[in-house]
Amino acid sequence: QDTFTWKVQSHWPGSSSSYQDSLVRLQRVIEERTEGRLKLQLFEAGAMFKAQDTFNAVSRGILEMGTISPSYAQDKITLAGIASGLPFAFRNVWEAAYFHQGLGFEQMLRDEAAKHNVYWATDKVYPTEMVIKNPINSWEDFTKLKIRSSGALQKFLTEAGAAASYIPGGELYTALDSGIVDGAHWGAAQGAYSMGLYEVAKHHVQPALNIAGTDVIIVSQKALDKLPEDMQTIVKQALEEQFWVRTNEYLYKERITLAKAIAEQGVTVNTMPDDVQERLVKAAQGMWDEEGKRSPEAKKALDMLKEYLASLGYL
Amino acid sequence: MSIEILTLLFFGSLLFFLLLGLPLAFVLGGVSVIFLYFTWGFDSFYMVASQIWGTMGSFTLVAIPLFVFMAMILERTGVARDLYKMMHLWFGGLRGGLAIGTLAICAVFAAMVGISGAAVVAMGTIALPSMLERGYDKRMALGVINTGGGWGILIPPSILMILYALITGVSVGKMFAAGILPGVLLMVLTTLYIVIRCALQPELAPALPKEERASWGEKLRAVRAVLLPIGVVVMVLGSIMGGITTPTEAAAMGVLGALISAAVYGELKWPVMQEAAIRTFKLTGMIMWILFAAHAFSAAYQSMGAQALIEGLMAMIPGGPWGIIISMMLITFLLGMVLDPVGIMMITLPVFIPIVQSLGFDPIWFGILFVINMEIGYMTPPFGFNLFYLKGVVPPSISMNDIYKSIIPFVLVEIVGLALIMIFPEIATYLPDLFF
Amino acid sequence: MSVLTAFMSGVTRLNDFIGRWIALLVFAMFVFLLLEVGFRYFLNSPTVWTNELTQLLFGVYAVMSGGYILAHKGHVNVDLLHSKLSPRVRAFVDILTSAIFFIFTLALLYFAVDMAQESFGSRETSFSAWNPPIWPAKGAIAVATLLLVLQGVVKLLQDIAIAFNLSYYQPEPEASEGEML
Ligand code: NA
Ligand code: NA
Repeated sequence: QDTFTWKVQSHWPGSSSSYQDSLVRLQRVIEERTEGRLKLQLFEAGAMFKAQDTFNAVSRGILEMGTISPSYAQDKITLAGIASGLPFAFRNVWEAAYFHQGLGFEQMLRDEAAKHNVYWATDKVYPTEMVIKNPINSWEDFTKLKIRSSGALQKFLTEAGAAASYIPGGELYTALDSGIVDGAHWGAAQGAYSMGLYEVAKHHVQPALNIAGTDVIIVSQKALDKLPEDMQTIVKQALEEQFWVRTNEYLYKERITLAKAIAEQGVTVNTMPDDVQERLVKAAQGMWDEEGKRSPEAKKALDMLKEYLASLGYL
Repeated sequence: MSIEILTLLFFGSLLFFLLLGLPLAFVLGGVSVIFLYFTWGFDSFYMVASQIWGTMGSFTLVAIPLFVFMAMILERTGVARDLYKMMHLWFGGLRGGLAIGTLAICAVFAAMVGISGAAVVAMGTIALPSMLERGYDKRMALGVINTGGGWGILIPPSILMILYALITGVSVGKMFAAGILPGVLLMVLTTLYIVIRCALQPELAPALPKEERASWGEKLRAVRAVLLPIGVVVMVLGSIMGGITTPTEAAAMGVLGALISAAVYGELKWPVMQEAAIRTFKLTGMIMWILFAAHAFSAAYQSMGAQALIEGLMAMIPGGPWGIIISMMLITFLLGMVLDPVGIMMITLPVFIPIVQSLGFDPIWFGILFVINMEIGYMTPPFGFNLFYLKGVVPPSISMNDIYKSIIPFVLVEIVGLALIMIFPEIATYLPDLFF
Repeated sequence: MSVLTAFMSGVTRLNDFIGRWIALLVFAMFVFLLLEVGFRYFLNSPTVWTNELTQLLFGVYAVMSGGYILAHKGHVNVDLLHSKLSPRVRAFVDILTSAIFFIFTLALLYFAVDMAQESFGSRETSFSAWNPPIWPAKGAIAVATLLLVLQGVVKLLQDIAIAFNLSYYQPEPEASEGEML
């Protein structure tokens, strides 16, 4: 019987909890279920391809598998902006999960990725939350903030009235420490903890800036087609199961990490006052329509999202 | 083909073509492409282009042209020359005085930058001509710059430490604090070496003849020469510590300081600036093309399964916790001779760190040992980056052979420092335990 | 042979001309970084574009240096063996090792062009908050590699002339070889 070895380029560093929990898990599950006929050779972030180039490498079939954030594939996937999270849309993680799997957003993403010979499978949905040095108790506190941000959230925070700037990950800790910025978001609790941000910023802000499918596993269609039928099914089923296992497990780890930060590092949870939240939601909704303009599919997804949020009683 | 044989062939061809005199950047790139072809196929060359694009997008590297530009301006306008004249007047009576002064400037530079490279090129430009002019042995002068220029990654801020923290999950702040005393230790050891060596062989670093030594009046007047460089340092360090700029942006403050100094010297003229810009371009480009190719080389090596090799090696090592730590240091040291530090970290740390922790060692302490080892790697033949960066600025009369030979005693001194930190872990762990 | 001579000096002059202009980008990088510090620290309103523009300029600056530096013999090598050889033998050795140079640069050229075409085809932008087009910077890799390859051809022609005593190229006197930067 043929055995296969796939090169898998991660966008997580080896120390990231997701590298172990998502990738190593997937490696184990697939290897077990194919009885060793499909092996995954894992590479840490940046080992062969930079995060922004991994989609291209998988699309070309150079790599058989990779993990990315949807924002790294925005030039190819018009739905990526919505996939990586519209600010202040969902309020609970289960809502985003149902949007992906129950309402068919995941299938829309998969269809668009298929045009580039990529099989798209969201790893998990989870929140993105800020940590800051001084708590937000009023709208003025928010607008005074200098926040390290990136991509769509940087634009959102700027338009909402804060001063958001991009600082690369390598300089983030020192920037927060010396006060070049007063806050940052790097995932949520686990991300902030792994980057040591709680050492220098003691307030964890809630609610989340967004909740979204920010981690994605991508598979080269060419590599998938080369597998015998039974193995293709195993891979696809493992990926589908992965979404639910990881979404739930990630939420659990968020909570215990935050609890640890509170107990060990004196972190406090800063819930933004209602009026601040309301103003942020207003500012966010103004931005949503931008994403709908990217393609007919994006328009369709946005309409679906708005209808869904209305049915939840949020709009 | 097994990874062991691939490794031998891969590094063997690297050495072979390097010795034939092809520039390092092209050897790294060419060997990568050839091996990628045989292990992965034609399509994988895309990785080489992708690595170059990735390297072009690394923000921390922007500091290189700016710090080099700063050094070029300080050198061209005479600020650096006057600084060395002052040092010579004050410390000229001491054998090796200029070398020790250069080390001190290197330490200050290291506190301003988080990377290596820039400091080596800058100090090679500023310090080397001044030392050679005053009859210093070329190997002594080269070794001092090579060793001191590498401290940028040990004395905080340090990009390598941040990367280490990211890969291993230790605190960045603790790593930074842990680097300070070892940095001081290496400085003291290197200074001691210079003092002793120059006492035994005065011809290596001649003292200023008695009749040429300056009066106190002259000495005091010469002190004016340090005001401008100190101003530049205050601008850079002050803006980092004061929360005004990131370390990368601080490089722009350095250029601003250098431009102000040039204006004070009445040298803020277009031809001077243009020449400084062109020399900066050549040196930055030389560094960057080496980095482009080195990143492709590391990526190619990793794709061949480098990590499996390290795992295999670690499984074979007998002999207790200390045997394992020393073996790790040896592996890192050997890899340091042929690979770039980021690549070494990616290949070895995921294997090393779980072992280090399970043996009950402090990962912060191990991180400092690792960073010092990386710094030694920067200056060991055949392709320590610092050696090549230095080669890019030295006059034609200095060959690679001179540079290779110059580093031997300095590497030994650093190894002594490394051993001391292994024996007395408190040197690394005292400050982080105190602060956090 | 005059065609060869013209080609060689033409390529070298082109690289020289481009290099002299690109070298000035260091001023732009300096100014933009300083601007960002000013905007963020003094006006409390960081821009979305300064650091990213600096980054893009730096990338172009770095990659475009390849051909210029080759023309000025600024790519460093190990001269242990080189320095012991006569100019003719050295030229022979360089002709042999140029194979490695061309394997690297031609592989890079192929995929750099591919990458640039793909990027230009979708008018790729960075999707940052500023969201500038990045295809020009990717295109610069292809242009820079082409310039490097051309300068490499010039170097090869020079070596062939030295090795076989051909008249289309007269090497400069030894002293200027290592040209101080
Ligand atoms: Na430093
Ligand atoms: Na080395």
